[in-house]
Amino acid sequence: MIGRRGLALGAGAIIALAACGSSGGGSSNKGTIKIGVELPESGKEASNGIPTLNGVKYAVQKQTTIKGFTIEINNLDDAVNGVHDAQKGAQNVQQFVSDSKVLGFVGPFNSAVAQAEIPVANAAHLTMISPANTNECLTKDLPAPECTFKPADLRPSGPNNYFRVAATDDFQGPAMADYAYDTLGLKKVAVASDNETYGKGIADSFSRELTKKGGDPTPRQDFDTKTTNSFKPFESSATAAGGLYFGGTDSNKVCIARQQMKSAGFNAPFFGGDGIVTAQCITDAADNVDNMYGTVAAADATQIPDAKSTIDDFKKNFSATTDFGAYTMPAYDCANILLDGISKAIDDAGGNMPTREQVRARVAQTKDFPGVLGKTSFDSNGDTSNKIISIYTIGAAPGLTGSTPKDWIWKAQVKF
Amino acid sequence: MNPLTRLRSSQSGALGILLLFGVVLVALAVSVKLQQCNVTQGGLPFFVNIAIQGLANGAIYALIALGYTMVYGIIELINFAHGDVFTLGAFFSLPLLGLFGLTEGKEFTIVTALLLLLVLVIVMALTGGVNVLIERVAYRPLRNSPRLAPLITAVGMSFILEGIMFLWRGPFNLHYPDILPATRVNLLGNAYVGIKDMVVVGVAIVLVIALSLFVNRSKLGKAMRATAQDRDASQLMGIDINRTIAATFFIGAVLAAAGGIIYGLYFNSVDFQLGFSAGLVAFTAAVFGGIGNIQGAALGGLIIGMLQAYNDGYCSSAWTRVLIFGILILVLVFRPSGLLGSRLGDKA
Repeated sequence: MIGRRGLALGAGAIIALAACGSSGGGSSNKGTIKIGVELPESGKEASNGIPTLNGVKYAVQKQTTIKGFTIEINNLDDAVNGVHDAQKGAQNVQQFVSDSKVLGFVGPFNSAVAQAEIPVANAAHLTMISPANTNECLTKDLPAPECTFKPADLRPSGPNNYFRVAATDDFQGPAMADYAYDTLGLKKVAVASDNETYGKGIADSFSRELTKKGGDPTPRQDFDTKTTNSFKPFESSATAAGGLYFGGTDSNKVCIARQQMKSAGFNAPFFGGDGIVTAQCITDAADNVDNMYGTVAAADATQIPDAKSTIDDFKKNFSATTDFGAYTMPAYDCANILLDGISKAIDDAGGNMPTREQVRARVAQTKDFPGVLGKTSFDSNGDTSNKIISIYTIGAAPGLTGSTPKDWIWKAQVKF
Repeated sequence: MNPLTRLRSSQSGALGILLLFGVVLVALAVSVKLQQCNVTQGGLPFFVNIAIQGLANGAIYALIALGYTMVYGIIELINFAHGDVFTLGAFFSLPLLGLFGLTEGKEFTIVTALLLLLVLVIVMALTGGVNVLIERVAYRPLRNSPRLAPLITAVGMSFILEGIMFLWRGPFNLHYPDILPATRVNLLGNAYVGIKDMVVVGVAIVLVIALSLFVNRSKLGKAMRATAQDRDASQLMGIDINRTIAATFFIGAVLAAAGGIIYGLYFNSVDFQLGFSAGLVAFTAAVFGGIGNIQGAALGGLIIGMLQAYNDGYCSSAWTRVLIFGILILVLVFRPSGLLGSRLGDKA
């Protein structure tokens, strides 16, 4: 823990030095433009937020000035007592809005947080690009009970300001259902969730797809993991199923449920969304890590040949194994799309400080942006055209040493 | 006298209990209807599995609740740091288990059991010592201050303990080794009772009985009861008040530490904030049973553990706390001193 903090501080110092160096040597400094970062970065969420933050830091490290403006990061944490908090997220966005130098931000990480943040940012025409939000209701107008709110409700005061590079949960659940049914040949899969917007969303979409294919998604239960940590009765009632799909995040104890399956006598594969594709999940599942599968609603940068050089270079600057995560490269793309929009908006403003609306308009027009993940275009809802779902499983990681030499290994990908 | 007041005044009578029972039943029925609980799912085996889970939950809550109730009984302080003392027990035991070679995947032998018992005793002593220290530093100097002052230092101690554990092991879920044998006995269908379940409940029962005997039979127990009744009079009779109160904190922490270890062995995962929510529920259990009453705390813990397991299993766990606190309100309306009452003589 201490070692890791030391590294993070070290990386911060390098960035600070780099920023000083370039602003000193730059031609005419027209001032500072800030890009916000809004992620859960403390407590149990650090494993989600910090590697993602590093992606943005890395992008800014490579591009410290744009057309005479110095680029800085304004980083805010939305975790309260170690868990992401929608209200805290909305307060953070309020803070961005009141800082006139912030022209857009990368984040948030959790869909429930985005739901609270979009209206605040929308009122100020503040661009937000999320590397990880996958809840479909944020961008798509779907009827209840699938969505309990409409995209328009979140954007009361103007044109769409919300974009994302991740695919949506309506693809994440089905991709896993397809894989379980077609590839693994499972007809009956028990379904559970942590009862949050994200977890329940992917669990529901998994159930629908499995039903559509002729499978049986029962039994089903949603757990409020803030008040309970005993999944055993449910698991022992599900032993007839060929697997368990658990929608949710590791910070909501989903992977502890995997560990408990052992004492419930339920020896079947375990499936989940990107919320379980973490190192913490491997620790939590302990001696029951075999046959676990997780989807990530993004292309795996490490499986894209063109991305290799970028990742290698990233790892030179951020060398700890915990520095790099599933959303590091998506966040890097988000930051670059935002910086590209800012650059074009500076031209629109005649080389001066652009307005937030100018940045928003430019980001909305993003077409075939050549990122690490592939070519990204945004549709009118703010969704990416590059919809790739990757499937991971836990296996022995080559080159990884220590007490738990296991990691999430890329298995397959599904493109929609 | 209006009817409600009359009923409340007859709280010790059979009528009061009967009425309370009826009201709680109605509340449960309403809750089942509102939450659209599916009470037929899984059949009898599911029902039995939940009961076992409820017993295990309840046993852990009971062990924590005893500490709250004893401290309240003797100095009328709600020791908010007590939940974190529970977590501390689990944290202390983690490195010790490694030290004694108690790791996962080994066969469970009589040696393992004895080593585990040794760890239990060491951790109980350590945690007890820490709690005595907390009492000495944070509560004793404020013993004659207004009641709010030690309450605030208790909240402070809670944050300090959480902070120390955060710095020690970080914010993550820590894996607690799965040492107890996985052997299970089939009851019916796919309902099983495991060695783990029996250990949790067994340890709790033994400790509660031991505590009752200690408080009612031993000399120090008598001193505790006397101090709870009248501190000044006890002092005049030659009882060392400081020592008696310190002993109360020690015993409370010993029970919480045992709770922490069996929580770890049962759920195989602990984190530094564990005590916050577990402590809140256990405190509720203590009030439920009648704060200051040892049997009441054990009963309260058991009832809440069961309520939680059944509501989680058949209904929506999002509403479990609402249900628990709703029933707590009903109990307190009809029996303000809790289920078994908090009469002075019963105090620890």
